[in-house]
Amino acid sequence: MDGPKEPTFPLLSSPDFVPEKYVRDISQNYVGGLELQLLKKKIQTLSDETNNNLKRNVYQNYVQFIEAAKEISHLEGEMYQLSHLLSEQRSLLTSLMNSSILEDQTHIKVHKHEKMDEQDVEEENKLKLATILEKVEGCKDIVEVEGRTFIHEGDLLEIDATENMALKFVHVYLFSDSLMITNRNSNPRSLTRFTYESIYELSSLAVVNVRDMGNIKHAFKLLIFPDTRVFQCSSNASKKEWLDKIDQAKKSKLASEQPKRESLLVEKTSPARMTFIESSHEEEPVIKIIINHPEWFLDIPDELDVCIAQRQFEEAVNYLNKAQMYINKTTDHQQIDMALTEIREKVEQKRNSLIEMLMKELEVNPEKSLQGGLRATRTAVRLLNQLGRSTQACDLFLKLCSNILKLQCKRVKREGSTTIYVRHLSSVVFTNMCSMSDEFLRAFPDSTDCASAYVVWASGELSLFTTHFAKQVFMPQTSLSTITECVELVRIQCEKLYSYGIDFRYQLDGTLRASLNKALSDAKDKLIDSIKLRVSEDKWIPINLKTKSALARCLQEYAQMGLKLDIYVTGDVWLQLTPSNLAFTKAFLILLEDCLKLKTTELLYTIDDTLCKVFEAQIRCYEHALRNESQHEQRQFIVKNIEFLLMVLYEFAQKKYRENSGYECEQLNKTATEFLGLLKGRGTKTKYSSEFL
Amino acid sequence: MSKKPTVQPALHKVIMVGSGGVGKSALTLQFMYDEFVEDYEPTKADSYRKKILLDGEEVQIDILDTAGQEDYAAIRDNYFRSGEGFLCIFSITEDESFQATQEFREQILRVKNDDNIPFLLVGNKCDLEEKRKVTFQEAQDRANKWGVPYVETSAKTREHVDKVFFDLMREIRARKKDENKTNNGRGKDKNKKKKLKCTIL
Ligand SMILES: Nc1nc2c(ncn2[C@@H]2O[C@H](COP(=O)(O)OP(=O)(O)O)[C@@H](O)[C@H]2O)c(=O)[nH]1
Ligand SMILES: [Mg+2]
Repeated sequence: MDGPKEPTFPLLSSPDFVPEKYVRDISQNYVGGLELQLLKKKIQTLSDETNNNLKRNVYQNYVQFIEAAKEISHLEGEMYQLSHLLSEQRSLLTSLMNSSILEDQTHIKVHKHEKMDEQDVEEENKLKLATILEKVEGCKDIVEVEGRTFIHEGDLLEIDATENMALKFVHVYLFSDSLMITNRNSNPRSLTRFTYESIYELSSLAVVNVRDMGNIKHAFKLLIFPDTRVFQCSSNASKKEWLDKIDQAKKSKLASEQPKRESLLVEKTSPARMTFIESSHEEEPVIKIIINHPEWFLDIPDELDVCIAQRQFEEAVNYLNKAQMYINKTTDHQQIDMALTEIREKVEQKRNSLIEMLMKELEVNPEKSLQGGLRATRTAVRLLNQLGRSTQACDLFLKLCSNILKLQCKRVKREGSTTIYVRHLSSVVFTNMCSMSDEFLRAFPDSTDCASAYVVWASGELSLFTTHFAKQVFMPQTSLSTITECVELVRIQCEKLYSYGIDFRYQLDGTLRASLNKALSDAKDKLIDSIKLRVSEDKWIPINLKTKSALARCLQEYAQMGLKLDIYVTGDVWLQLTPSNLAFTKAFLILLEDCLKLKTTELLYTIDDTLCKVFEAQIRCYEHALRNESQHEQRQFIVKNIEFLLMVLYEFAQKKYRENSGYECEQLNKTATEFLGLLKGRGTKTKYSSEFL
Repeated sequence: MSKKPTVQPALHKVIMVGSGGVGKSALTLQFMYDEFVEDYEPTKADSYRKKILLDGEEVQIDILDTAGQEDYAAIRDNYFRSGEGFLCIFSITEDESFQATQEFREQILRVKNDDNIPFLLVGNKCDLEEKRKVTFQEAQDRANKWGVPYVETSAKTREHVDKVFFDLMREIRARKKDENKTNNGRGKDKNKKKKLKCTIL
C-alpha cells in the first residue's frame, strides 16, 4: 500500500491529480498536528515558489512582449524606408519612360509628316536640322538632302573591332535616310559640341547585332567595306532602340522608294528578295482639316507668357487647365489641325517652364531669406501637385524643412547649463518638426509616397539631432542626474510626434543606448569610489546634528525623498546612523531615481547592475569595518547601520522600483539576501526576517 | 614590350548564308553554345565571336548569321564582303532552299570576285531522313561542279556541326597563308615581318 506522496510539482501539476482525494488520503494517514503542520509548511513553500515562478514568467513574457513591439516598430520604419526607395525607383522609371515617349513622338512626327503638306514637313525639319547644325561642326550638307528627317540621336562608344578596346566616344544621329557619326569637339573653346566625321546611306549600311563578343556587351556593328565599326551602347535597351530605329527607318525608306524600285525588283528574282514589299501599305490620302478655334484658345500661349513673367502662377495654372480641357475635347472628336498641334506644343513648353519656375521657388538658396517659413511654399507646392509633380515638390519641400531646421538650431545659443540648452534646443527641434508635419500633411494630404519620404526625412533629422545631443550631453563632467534630465526632456519632446503617427522613441533609445550604458557605469564607479572614501573616514559614532532645527531639517530632507528616519532619532540632536551611511542613502536614492527615469528594457541589465553594485559596495565596506572593529559598542552600532541598509533602505528601494516597473529588482534581492547573515548575531528578529526575504 | 594589353589571336570571319528556316541560327548556336533552339525566330544579322583551338593554334572565329533575305542588294553585298569564308546552307527537307543555294553562290562569287573563296555546301537537318527531298547525290554533284566540299549536318543531333566550322576555318587559314605567299614572295619572309611588327608595337 502506498501512503500519500510527498507534495511535489510533478504530483500537483499532473492531470489526474484530484485535490479532494489527496486531502482525504492525508487525513487518513497522518496522525497528529505536528506532521500535518510540516506538510502544510511544505505546501506553503511550494506555493511561494510557484508564485515566484509565475512572477518571473510574467516578467519574462512581458519583456518578450516589449521586445516584439519594438521589433514591429523597427520593421515599420524599415517598411517606410523600402516604400520610399520603391517610389524613388518608380519616379525614375516614369521619367525614363517620359523621355522615351518624347523620342517616340519625334518618330510619330515623321509619320505624321507624310500626311501633311510637304511645305510643313520642310518647315518642321528645318528647325530640327538647324539645331543639329548648331551643335555639329562641318555638317552643312545635311540640310541639302530633300526630305531628310531626324529620327534619333545618342552617345555611343566606338570599339576597336580586332583588339576589343575602346577607341572613342561618338555622337550619332539617325536620319530618315542616313546615319551620321560625329566626334566630340576637342577644342573646348569651340561653340559646337561635335565635329562631323562621316555619314552612311541607310540603303547600303549593313548593320549587325553583336550577340556575343566576349566582354563587350550591348554592341552593334556597321559593316562598311572594307571596315567594320563596332559601337557600344550604354544598355541593352538602348542598343535595341538603335537597331529597331535603324531597321524602321530602312523599311520606311524602302516603302517610300517602292514605286521607283518595283520594276527593278520584279526583274531580279533574287532569293534575297524581301517578302514584305508586296504587303507594304498604300500611301494614305492626305487629309487636311481646318478648324476655327476660339480666339481665347489661340491667345493662350501669350497669356501664359504674361502670367509666368508676372509670377501669377495660379493664373497660369488656370490657363493651362483651360487649354488642356479644350485640347482634350477637340482631339476626342479627332479634329487635329496644325494650329492645334502648334498650340499644344507651345502649351506643353509653357507648362514645363512653369514647373521649373515653381521648383525654383522651393529651392534652397542662400540668398533667399527663409522669412516666410513653410507657409511661403504653400502656393508653389499646391500648384506643383496640381501639375502632377508631387514627388519633386515633396523632395524640395523636405530639403527646405531641413534647412529651416538647421538655421533654427544654429540660433539656439549654448549658454547656461546643459539642461537649459537641451531644453531649448529639443523644444526648437521638435516643435518645428511638429509644425512641419502639420504643414506637410496639409501640402501632401493623400500621397503615400510622399508620406514615406517624410518619415525617412524625419528619421534623418532625428539622427542629426541625437548625434548633436549626445555630443553635448555625454561628457565626463556631466552628472548622471543632468543626463537623465536631458534624456527625459528629449523623450517627452519626441512623444510630441506621436500625434502625427510617427514614433521615434525606439530610434532615440537605440541611438542613446551605448552612451547611456557608459554613463551609468561611470556613475557607478564614481559612487563606489566615494563610498570607500567616506567609510574610511567614519568614526562609527552617531551623528550629532548640534541643534534641534538642524535635525528637523535633516529629517525633512529625507522625508521629502520618501524615507522616514524618525525611529533613528535619540535625544534632541542625535541620529543613530553613521555619517557615511546617511550620505550614501542620499546618493543611492538619487541614483535610484535617475535609473528609474532612464529605464528602458534595453538598459534594464545595466541599471540593475549599477544599483546592485553600488549597494553591495556600501555593505561590503561595512562588513569589512565590522571585521576590523574590536570595540563592542562600535560593533553594535555598525550592525545597526547594516540593518538599516538591508531593511529600511533596501525595502524602500524595492518599493520605489516596484512602483515604477510593477515588480521588484531580482538582483538587488539576491545581493541583500547574501548579507543577511551579518545580522544574525543580533538575535532580535524584526519583521523583515530571512524567511520573508 | 607591346602597348596593347593583349595580342588577339588570328580572326577568321565566317558567314552563314541560305534561305530562311534552313537552320543557320540553329547551327551557329549549336556550335557556339552546344544547344539546340527549337523555336524559329527570323534573324536580321547577328554576330558571334569565340576563341577556339584550331589544330593546336588559338584562333578566333567571328560568325555572321544573316537573314534569309535582305531588302537592299547593296546591304546584302556589304554583309558578304565582310566574310572570309561561307557556309552555304540548305535544308535537305526543302528543295526550294537547295535551289536557292545557286543564287547565293553566284552573289558571293560576284561580290568577293574570287572563285576559290573558302566555301562549304551544307545540307542541314539530316536527322529528318524520312522527310528528305534533296538526295545526297544531287547535292554532292552540285558541290563537285562548284569545286567545294559537301557536308550533311544536323543542328539537332550536332552531327558534323564542328566539322563544317573547323573545315571552313582550315580553308580560310590556308587561303590566308597562300595570299601572304603571293603578296610577299616566300612565306618565311612574312613570318619574319610579323615578328618584327610585334616588337615595334
Ligand atoms: N530537326 C531539325 N530541325 C532543325 C535543324 N536545324 C534547325 N532546325 C529547326 O528549323 C527551324 C529554323 O531554324 P533556324 O536556325 O532559325 O533557321 P535560319 O532561319 O536559317 O536561321 C527551327 O525551328 C529549328 O529548330 C536540324 O538540324 N534538325
Ligand atoms: Mg536565323
